[in-house]
Amino acid sequence: MLAAMDSIRLAIAQFAPRLGQLETNLARHGEFIEEARTGGADLLVFPELSLTGYQLQDLSADVAMRLDDPRLADLAHVADGISTIVSFVEESDDHRLFIAAALLEEGEVRHVQRKVFLPTYGLFDERRFFAPGDQIRAASSSLGVELGIGVCEDFWHVAVPQALALDGASLLINVSSSPGRDVAATNEVGLGTASSWRTIMRTYAQLTTSFVVFCNRVGIEESISFWGGSEVIAPNGAPIFSAPLYDEGLFFVDIAPADVRRERIGLPLLRDERLELQVRELQRIIRKRANIADDPIDDSRAGMP
Amino acid sequence: MTDHAAFDLPKELAIDTGVARRVIGEFIKAQLQQAGFERAVLGLSGGIDSALVAYLVTEAIGAERLLCVLMPYRTSAPASRADAEEVVRRLGCASELVEISPMVDAFYGPDTDASALRRGNFMARMRMAVLYDRSVTSGGLVVGTGNKTEGLIGYTTLYGDNACAFNPIGDLYKSQVRQLAAAMGVPDRIIRKAPSADLWPGQTDEAEAGFSYPELDRLLFWRIDQRRSVDEVVALGFARELVDRADRMVAGSEFKRQMPPIAKLGPRTAGVDYLYPRRRPGSARG
Repeated sequence: MLAAMDSIRLAIAQFAPRLGQLETNLARHGEFIEEARTGGADLLVFPELSLTGYQLQDLSADVAMRLDDPRLADLAHVADGISTIVSFVEESDDHRLFIAAALLEEGEVRHVQRKVFLPTYGLFDERRFFAPGDQIRAASSSLGVELGIGVCEDFWHVAVPQALALDGASLLINVSSSPGRDVAATNEVGLGTASSWRTIMRTYAQLTTSFVVFCNRVGIEESISFWGGSEVIAPNGAPIFSAPLYDEGLFFVDIAPADVRRERIGLPLLRDERLELQVRELQRIIRKRANIADDPIDDSRAGMP
Repeated sequence: MTDHAAFDLPKELAIDTGVARRVIGEFIKAQLQQAGFERAVLGLSGGIDSALVAYLVTEAIGAERLLCVLMPYRTSAPASRADAEEVVRRLGCASELVEISPMVDAFYGPDTDASALRRGNFMARMRMAVLYDRSVTSGGLVVGTGNKTEGLIGYTTLYGDNACAFNPIGDLYKSQVRQLAAAMGVPDRIIRKAPSADLWPGQTDEAEAGFSYPELDRLLFWRIDQRRSVDEVVALGFARELVDRADRMVAGSEFKRQMPPIAKLGPRTAGVDYLYPRRRPGSARG
């Protein structure tokens, strides 16, 4: 692994992709990349489905790209020099469609994280159109820190940020297209969705003792409003940066990777995780939930001196 | 139950009006932009719903891009028209007066025994027809003005007042409409007066339907948004008779809230397995 930089300048592109307009969005990415370069960014993060928009439905197949798509290669070339995370519909060789986030570095697609959890409830209908990813992997990067990338709903399942941190990531990045809902006056910043996300992302930062970057889009598609409110949270759970709700913008935030070491020395939660215990109990719970009786041989062994 | 003098706002229904205004403003702008329109047109009755929408549209795109159409029938209350004119005056938007009496009376004739319901529905559909004509002549999208309460209980006319290109306030209960209207400076008289379909002198929604809006709003909020069972809302203090009645109204008007079903025959059928966003590439007016 490369030596970590003293300071990493993040750029968060909180913007409104045009629904189904891949070429327009590619051009817009190019503009943000240049603006990020001018601002001295080391890492540029775009929101979920930044190249396509979110509410695609039957347009999903029309805007899908294979990982060897020349447009993606061109974008990686444009982004050369800045670690850049973009998101799009990925089509696999066997024609499954995935919601994917890709890390572009040094002119190529360095890592792809397919969305693992596809919400299909309430206002969401993702599983109808997309296949779920099957891997949760930290990504090494030229920044000298490992990145843990998740897509929106992936971070509503505690296993994902936990696995990413245990796999080596110290900078967790969630790219989102989160629709805002519940404007009850009692909510923090007046929006129920914002309260929920803030609570869980700050909790993940603290529990994984990692930086957490939340990049959420803005804009309107059909009935829904994406609320922005992107954040950067320190490894002690304290928010470093909170973007305004609903405003478009490219936001720069400097973070110090040394904060991770300091936090993990002082609060060695990751050191103390007990994965074998977790796996053992999970295997038991899987059997229980599937109504499969415990293996009697295992039981007899458990009783032996 | 409330600390506001002008109206009754149940505390669980109170919204953050700043966030709501922002969301609705962005929504209005996006709906127009994505459809390739720059202007909006709406029917202004003198009531609070259409007044609020006029204020919201004005805040989003400016009064110079809004046309309010006043469409009284000969039995409509003169006060309604005066209130509508006050909104137009305050906002400084364009307005047009289109009397619908000749259209309605020509259809029914002078000595009709048509019920108030039939006549009311017909009036609502005449107003819709006028608005869609003015949509063409003014180059504006028709903005809906129905609120969540009336939408849920079905107190709307299908293809009448519920016809629109988009609706900015359809997810706000009547009490929340009042709260937002107060926050935006809609004239107090409009906020205070009893809601009415204005089909005959002295008619009010609440007298006709036998409920109060704050009570019905709370009930719908707990039943629908908060997914409480009948027994649970009765335990919250709602009369079982009211709960049953509201449930029947909601279920009975489901058809008004959905596109009509198409008999499935071909491989791909609109709304069934042909699913595209309304605003897909190429859908905007050129």
